[in-house]
Amino acid sequence: MIWLETLINGALLGGLYALLGLGLALVFGVMRVVNIAHGEFMVLSAFCAVLLANLFPSVPPLLMLIPVIAVSFAVGWIYQAAIVNRVVKSPDPLAPLVLTFGVSVVLRNVMVEVFGADVRSLQIGELSRAHIEISGLNIGIMPLLTLALAALLFVALQFILRHTEFGRIVRATADRRDIVRLSGVRPDRVYNYVMGLSLALGAIGGVLLAVRSSFTPFSGAERLLIAFEVVVLGGLGSFWGALLGGIALGMAQLIGLKIDPNAGLLYAHLLFFCMLLIRPSGLVSSKA
Amino acid sequence: MPSRITLAIWSVILIAAVAGAPFVLNEGFLRLGTECMLLLTMAQMWNLLAGYAGLVSFGHQVFIAFGAYALFLTSGWLEINPVWVLPVAPLVAAAVAAIIAFPLFRLRDAYFSIAMWVFAEIISAFTMKSQLAGGTSGLPLSTSRLIDFDWFEPIMFWLAGILTIGTIAGLYKLMTSSFGLGLMSVRDNDLAAMSVGVDVRHNRFVAFVLSAAGCGVAGALSFLGNLYIAPLAAFDVNWSVYMMFIVIIGGIGTLEGPILGVIIFFGLRETMTGPLGLSGGWYLVGLGVLAVTVMMVAPRGIWPVLRDRIGVRLLDVHRTSPRPVATVLQKVSEGTAG
Amino acid sequence: MALLDVNGLQIFYGDLQAVFDMNFTVADGETVALVGANGAGKSTFLKALVGLNEERSGRMHFDGIDISHMPAEQVSRLGLIMVPEGRLLFDSLTVEENLLMGSLNRRSGSCTLQRVFDLFPMLGERRRMYPGQLSGGQQQMAAIGRALMSNPRLLLCDEISLGLAPVVVEQIYRSFANIRSEGTAVVLVEQDVKRALATSERIYCLLKGRVSLTGPAQGLQPEQLTHAYFGN
Repeated sequence: MIWLETLINGALLGGLYALLGLGLALVFGVMRVVNIAHGEFMVLSAFCAVLLANLFPSVPPLLMLIPVIAVSFAVGWIYQAAIVNRVVKSPDPLAPLVLTFGVSVVLRNVMVEVFGADVRSLQIGELSRAHIEISGLNIGIMPLLTLALAALLFVALQFILRHTEFGRIVRATADRRDIVRLSGVRPDRVYNYVMGLSLALGAIGGVLLAVRSSFTPFSGAERLLIAFEVVVLGGLGSFWGALLGGIALGMAQLIGLKIDPNAGLLYAHLLFFCMLLIRPSGLVSSKA
Repeated sequence: MPSRITLAIWSVILIAAVAGAPFVLNEGFLRLGTECMLLLTMAQMWNLLAGYAGLVSFGHQVFIAFGAYALFLTSGWLEINPVWVLPVAPLVAAAVAAIIAFPLFRLRDAYFSIAMWVFAEIISAFTMKSQLAGGTSGLPLSTSRLIDFDWFEPIMFWLAGILTIGTIAGLYKLMTSSFGLGLMSVRDNDLAAMSVGVDVRHNRFVAFVLSAAGCGVAGALSFLGNLYIAPLAAFDVNWSVYMMFIVIIGGIGTLEGPILGVIIFFGLRETMTGPLGLSGGWYLVGLGVLAVTVMMVAPRGIWPVLRDRIGVRLLDVHRTSPRPVATVLQKVSEGTAG
Repeated sequence: MALLDVNGLQIFYGDLQAVFDMNFTVADGETVALVGANGAGKSTFLKALVGLNEERSGRMHFDGIDISHMPAEQVSRLGLIMVPEGRLLFDSLTVEENLLMGSLNRRSGSCTLQRVFDLFPMLGERRRMYPGQLSGGQQQMAAIGRALMSNPRLLLCDEISLGLAPVVVEQIYRSFANIRSEGTAVVLVEQDVKRALATSERIYCLLKGRVSLTGPAQGLQPEQLTHAYFGN
């Protein structure tokens, strides 16, 4: 019974993990760039939410998601326009990798200096502890809501990409950056919007994770690795695959913690690594 | 390429400098010098992998840790002065690299980089759970009583010096050999390299194992100097950060680049934490900003820009074409027209 | 005044020069053929015209507007549209979505999805398919359709018969008559010299980046063309 509960909670956690990976997958799918700083931006948005919650204690902390999402979008837009766009077109695949890694180091250490290395979390009161009982199983409300939100965001993103003109432009730009210019599209501007969207999605994941567990300026690496593992497990270009990947990781994580309470992310990482060994076909080299 | 005589003279000067330094410098400077040289070796190893074999690793700290732990544990079990079991470090690191290459080499670019990082995290987690390796709090060097502390700093310095000079000399020889040419062609375009018969996988594999071995022994020496090893320090991703930034800022794919990078690295650190009195975090911020700026403005690093301005070729491993490029192209275009 | 007027155009690839001192004109509604061997510079020239190749110098005017340094995004809005070599459709978009990308620059004109499907009925049947599911000929039709959706004043066609069976090429060229009857000027870059000559009013021949021959397509002697094409 305990195991079933753990599995279910793991699946719910997986929804959150999938959300972490969604933004990363979006940027990679469109620009072929893995934004190493994605984790740090998530942590940054969590810090912002905590700060805002402390500044306005009468406002329900989760409402702080709204300004944080808006700011994250803007930050993503600027980040892309000022920095990442410089290397997206580089023939050297190492360039965006190293560049975004550099940005992650800068962000991480600025956060340490500005916010301090103390552990924080976003307190939302009773909601974080609330749970319901379904046939003897204890299911947290917050994780349930998080999974619902993740699924909703997935659906929304799919809708935008498939059924709007913006989505069409994004897909076309991802396919052929040069030819799309012949339709009057500026690829650089498309990338700006995509990165903004990516960081906005990351902000949601980052804030929700901050509700669930604590964080420090150093938590970005963890988040990046999870996001990455989700994207890779799910297979390139498949958002629903990412959701499944997230669920698998979430289950591995919680089952692992039940067996081995101090293991941290070890079992999630092990699952990822085993998949690398067993099913490399989904994980082999990116398109040229 | 510089003439043999120039190389020989420089080698003699460097060896003399390394040999004589412990008699001239105080302990503080000696330690700094050791740290510089070890970091330079690590950077050269990262450069070998990234600049020449085209693989960026965010998990190279795992080899530093393997080398260091191997040294501490072996020295402890055999109850020998750690200096005598130093070869264990590169061997263990190389073995780990050889094994992990099989799953990892299926991946390219970002996938490889992050998978290395995940691997490092996994090993780190296991180490922290292992009683044998001292768990989360780590291990002191159990055989430290066998060390003669009068000569400890000089010996560390000399070992670091031998390692660094040996590494650079070895890399120079390697890159000017046919293996090196093959390796550079792999970095530039592995499909093209394969079509002219270069064994891409083999070249990459050798580069990967060598870079692991180099980091292993440098890591072993580094922690030997502290007489203590702990997982948080050993598996710290900042090792990869330092290596990467040194190479990127200095000049990726060149032998001189990391040397320049190390000078800038330590210059920046000592200036910021010393006279400017800033904490360590700001130093990393400064380094990061510099690396990002270099990537945007001069992606090949500072050294190539300097080199082209001053016209100096120190350890250049580039070949020159036997015929001027323009004539070759003209012949090619004449051949394909009509 | 010519619709397209190119003067002294030089195009580079890094240190290499690909096109030397090229003069080229197209009048309103005219069909001009551009032929030459592989590597002569034909595709390079077309890409420079639409702004995709930015390493160029010299003067280019389209409809009186100076496009010498105009980026590709703006050139298409003027009505100078290219059907790229290799079709280069958007693989993640359906046929219909590909066509809609063509109308993105919202130029005024009569072209609609339905008109493209009338011109190429096979496309209409496959409107929800992806390029990967289409034959070469159908992909070419889709590429042309995408260009037509922009209501071009000048259509640049880069090797549209390349890799296609003669029957299919015939089909495509028949639909061309329709396009030209609308008054659209066309530049045809073609390997199939006979067809190019048969379809156009004037011809240019490129040899190693220079214009080796230009003149009316009618009455051109085969030897003249061979000489200009191969340069012997």
